[in-house]
Amino acid sequence: MPNPIQTEVSPHDAAEELLPWYATGQLEPDERALVEQHLSSCAHCRRQLAFERRMVDEFADLTPEIDTAWARLRQRIEPPRRTVARPSLWDRVAREAADFWQNLSRPAVAVLATLQLAIIGGAGAFVTLSQESYQALSSAPLPASANVIVMFGGDTTESEIRGLLQANNATLVGGPTPADAYLLEVPSQSRTAVLSHLRADDHVTLAQPIDGPQP
Amino acid sequence: MREAREVNSAGTAVRPKNENAPSGAPNERALLERVKMHDVDAFERLYRIYQPRLARFLINLLMRPQLVEEVLDDTMMVVWQTAGSFRGTSKLSTWVFAIAYRKALKARARWPDPVEDEDRDMRVSNDPGPDSELERGRIHDALISAMAKLSAEQRAVVDLTYFHGLNYREIADIVSCPVDTVKTRMFHARRRLKQTLSGTFTDWL
Repeated sequence: MPNPIQTEVSPHDAAEELLPWYATGQLEPDERALVEQHLSSCAHCRRQLAFERRMVDEFADLTPEIDTAWARLRQRIEPPRRTVARPSLWDRVAREAADFWQNLSRPAVAVLATLQLAIIGGAGAFVTLSQESYQALSSAPLPASANVIVMFGGDTTESEIRGLLQANNATLVGGPTPADAYLLEVPSQSRTAVLSHLRADDHVTLAQPIDGPQP
Repeated sequence: MREAREVNSAGTAVRPKNENAPSGAPNERALLERVKMHDVDAFERLYRIYQPRLARFLINLLMRPQLVEEVLDDTMMVVWQTAGSFRGTSKLSTWVFAIAYRKALKARARWPDPVEDEDRDMRVSNDPGPDSELERGRIHDALISAMAKLSAEQRAVVDLTYFHGLNYREIADIVSCPVDTVKTRMFHARRRLKQTLSGTFTDWL
C-alpha cells in the first residue's frame, strides 16, 4: 500500500487527511511536523482544524446525555421493537464458570445472584435500562409511571429512604423486587438532576433511568 | 461540561485522553490472565472497564439501542471464551473492539440502516440562545442525526477517532482494513458531518 505522504498525494491532501488525529494528539512526530508546516500556509486547513476540535469537544460532551438523546431519536428512526428474551451474559458466564468450578461447593445460584446485581450496577451511564432488562429483576409488570430504578444499601433505614424520596420529589410506585430494587416516579423534567442527587447519596447503590412501556 | 484542554508547544489544543478511552493498562492484562483461568471476579472487573466504552462505541455504530446489549454481551462472551487466544501482539482494547466491530457488522446485516429520510431535520433553529440544557439537547440531537447519515463503517471510524482518541493505525487494526482506507473513510465522513451540521453551528464557517 503506497504511503500517501511520500508519493503522489499532494501535501495539502495528506495534511488534511491527518487533521482529525492532529486535533486529538495522535500523530507521530514526523506526521505532526508535516501537518504543522502545512497549516502555517493553508487557511482552508486551519478552518478545518477548528471543525475537528469542535467535533472532539462535541463528542466528549455527547456522552452524558446520549441515552436521552437516543430515546428521542429512536422514535424517529424506527418504531421500537421487542427483542427476543435471551439468557443474559452473566447467566451464560455463570453457567460456564459453574461447570468449570463444579468441584467447588459454591452454589451456582449464589453466583447468579451476585452477577445479576453486577450487571445492573455495571449498566453504565450510556444505556437506559429497558423494560426487558428491568424484567430481569422482576417478573412483575412495569408500572406505567415508573421512570427511575433505585437500590439502597443494606443498612438503609425506612426513614432514610422516605427522606430521600421526599427531598427529591420522588414517589414510590413499585418494589421491592426480588433483587430489592425500587421503582420511582420522578418529575420527568428533573429526572437527570434527581438521578445525580440519588447517585451522590451514600445510601444509594444504584440509580438508573428506565423507559416506560413502549406504545 | 467541557474539560480543560492541554495546549502543546505548537499551540495546538490536545484533547486529554478520555478516562474511558482504551489505554492497554497492565491491570487489564493481569485481569485477562485470570479470565483465562475462568475467574469470574476478574471477568466482572474487566466487564466493568469495557462496558461503558463498548456501549458508547456500539450505540454509535449500530444506531439500534435495542441491539447494543445483545452485541455487547456477545462480544464479552467471546472475550470470556477465547481469552486464551489473545497473544498480546496488540493492545487488549484493540482486540476487544475488533471483536465488537465484527459482531456489530453481523448484527447490522440482520438490521440494515434505516432508509434515509431527507426531510428529517433536527436543526431546529439558529437562535443564538444561551448554552442552556435545551441548547445542548438540540446540539446532541443534531450530532446524532448527522451521524445517522453516515455508513456504519464511517461511524465506527469517527467515534474511535473523536471520542475514543485512537490513532488511525489502531483503528485499522480494529476494523481490519488498510490505514489508507481509515483515512479515506474519515475524510468523507468529516465532509458529510460538516455539511449536515453547518446549519447547527453557524460559527463554524
